[in-house]
Amino acid sequence: MPRWRVLAVFLLPAFLLYSVFIVYPLVTALEYSFFEWRGIRQTGFAGLANYRDLFTIYPYDQQLWRAFGHNALFFAGTMLIQNTVGLLFALLLFRHGRGKRFLQAAFTTPYLVDPLVVGYLWSLLLNPTFGPVNSLLEAAGLDSWALPWLGDTRTALPVVIVVNAWQWVGFPMLLFSAALAGIPAEYHEAARVDGASAWQAFRRVTLPLLTPAIGVVSVLTFIGNFNAFGLVYAMAGSTGSPAGSTDVLGLLFYRVAFVEGGTEAIGRSSALAVLMFVFIFGVSMLAGSYFRRRERRLL
Amino acid sequence: MKRGWIAGAIGVLTVALAACAPGGGASGQGGEAGGDKVTLSLWSWRVEDVKAYDKILAKFEESHPKIDVEFKPFQATEYNNILATGLSGTAGPDVAQLRAYGGLQPLVEAGQLVPLDGKVEALSGFDAKLLEGAKGHKDGKIYGVPFAYQTLQVFYNKKLFGDNGIQPPATWDEMIKAADTLKAAGITPFAVAAGPDATWTLPIVHEIFGNARYGSTAFRDALLSGGKKFTDPDFTASIKLLKDLEPYFPKDVAAVKIPDVQALFATGKAAMYPTGSFDLAPVLAADPSLEIGAFQVPPPPGSPVTTPVTPGWADGSFGVNAKSAHQAEALELVKWMATPEFGQLYASELKQLSAVPGVTPSDPLLAEMAKNYAANGAPYTLLVDFRYGQPNGDAVFRDEVQKMLVGQTDPKAVAESVQKGVEQWFKPGN
Repeated sequence: MPRWRVLAVFLLPAFLLYSVFIVYPLVTALEYSFFEWRGIRQTGFAGLANYRDLFTIYPYDQQLWRAFGHNALFFAGTMLIQNTVGLLFALLLFRHGRGKRFLQAAFTTPYLVDPLVVGYLWSLLLNPTFGPVNSLLEAAGLDSWALPWLGDTRTALPVVIVVNAWQWVGFPMLLFSAALAGIPAEYHEAARVDGASAWQAFRRVTLPLLTPAIGVVSVLTFIGNFNAFGLVYAMAGSTGSPAGSTDVLGLLFYRVAFVEGGTEAIGRSSALAVLMFVFIFGVSMLAGSYFRRRERRLL
Repeated sequence: MKRGWIAGAIGVLTVALAACAPGGGASGQGGEAGGDKVTLSLWSWRVEDVKAYDKILAKFEESHPKIDVEFKPFQATEYNNILATGLSGTAGPDVAQLRAYGGLQPLVEAGQLVPLDGKVEALSGFDAKLLEGAKGHKDGKIYGVPFAYQTLQVFYNKKLFGDNGIQPPATWDEMIKAADTLKAAGITPFAVAAGPDATWTLPIVHEIFGNARYGSTAFRDALLSGGKKFTDPDFTASIKLLKDLEPYFPKDVAAVKIPDVQALFATGKAAMYPTGSFDLAPVLAADPSLEIGAFQVPPPPGSPVTTPVTPGWADGSFGVNAKSAHQAEALELVKWMATPEFGQLYASELKQLSAVPGVTPSDPLLAEMAKNYAANGAPYTLLVDFRYGQPNGDAVFRDEVQKMLVGQTDPKAVAESVQKGVEQWFKPGN
């Protein structure tokens, strides 16, 4: 059997699965977004009208940018909280070996649970009427801290970000742990011999060598956060309660496609899906090449 | 070794093809198997009603020995998509449970249903308000036999009212006074939720307290003809009622969910529950011994309508698939669904308000709500008339009311947003 045929046989299964379940739906959404719809009947070519509607029809014109802004905040907050804490945990576990395996397992358990379940559990814990979090705060004399966490427009999004970080912190921790283990011990010894402080060693030796890991974590966080849906839906409903303060692009898509269910739903929701895909794909590509350039400078 | 890989690849290919093949379990071929007997497939979003429907449909099969009906329920949240797909292929239902008003429109416009005008005579006796829910918005044809309707009113806990010396209020002031008394006694007066899952109930709460204040049916007719807009001072005043009543709602109402208020009411921590007839069964399921009464909200001061109103809407209907291979038999079934026999069975088995004229519910409280609707019924206009385009009237309304309750906007701006949202697709006078 010639070499290319062997290769083809190896590639065929994955290629088929990929085509049927990834490429085909993507192409379909792209096609749908260019048509006019009445229910499930296509009534003609619409050009870019569905895209234009998203930017011009009230309230989508406002909700689109608001949701985009919340996704950006979600990403920034997650980088700041989840990935920083993940790096910290990785460093602590790297330096103090005791109980390492147990702690690694403990930190990663929450991501075995579906985001919908995590969101539902936390919304029960934070329930202002029956939830234990506020009861505990009150019992501890911290009455002024017993806020309606998910019912206040100022706290809702930060709470969602923290719960999301609680669920996923094990992921950057594992990646950073692996990257730390790959840094030769001689570098640290050399730094110590040169009289570097612990902070200087971290800042000048460890951190630059973590660039590949930071790149991977950042891009994956970006993709995850801009596609956020399950957790936010479970904690804040399809409207991004309260008063849209937690509305993200995933929820907006869900509302346009399924909740409001107007006759134009398929065209507009497909247009939004295409926009999200193009943006996430584009930024991920740019970020990927940026981090590769940084890596090359290290060599 | 090589053969193994090829076999594996073929295996994967087969699985992939099976996954994209259209769903099996077709209907509409019953005629071939059972001689002259025809099997109709009936689709529904009521998974919880299988037993009741089996009982109801057995009666139909008794009087129609040549027809078998197979009841096939789907998950309610997925139903709209499943039905739209089913109706477009050959594996769809013969008869389907249909959503009402705007929810029906996509199917009508795609030409997937059989118009029933002139084919089901009994429809002429149905309440005209309820029939609107089963009509095509543009052609005015009837596409389904309405099965149920919902009414909106306030439930109250009889024991809590008795303990605090309160009677069902006859005036708005009496209602506020009752709320003050209850609040002073440490009881939440109104079980109202405005949390993440509750935004769809905010327009309902607005209807219950504000329908008379904005002018009820007369205002709705003026909206439709273009004589008035949502920015009308009366409509704004009806929105403001919710802000005024907020002190009587549970604390931090924007974080309170529907199960929370059902629990508050069922456990006697809240005395009044403004909600729909659909909530009677779930509340009683939580505590069957709960003694519940119901009252219509007395018109607030300044209302153009000075008698209490019971807003309501049609829940849905049963219609015939235009592609059904058994049109005649399917029509027999929906004809039967317009008879008092079906209505009575439906009301007693499912504890819902049947849309068939002349059917009275056996439950006294449901019977009272039905009586109120017959006497003072009015359309819940945001749902009934403003779900025919995007954005929905009630979708904009609920978001803005939630903003108002957390202090981000005021009643006037809420009304302006609703007007701005719907006038992008709604043209008065059609």
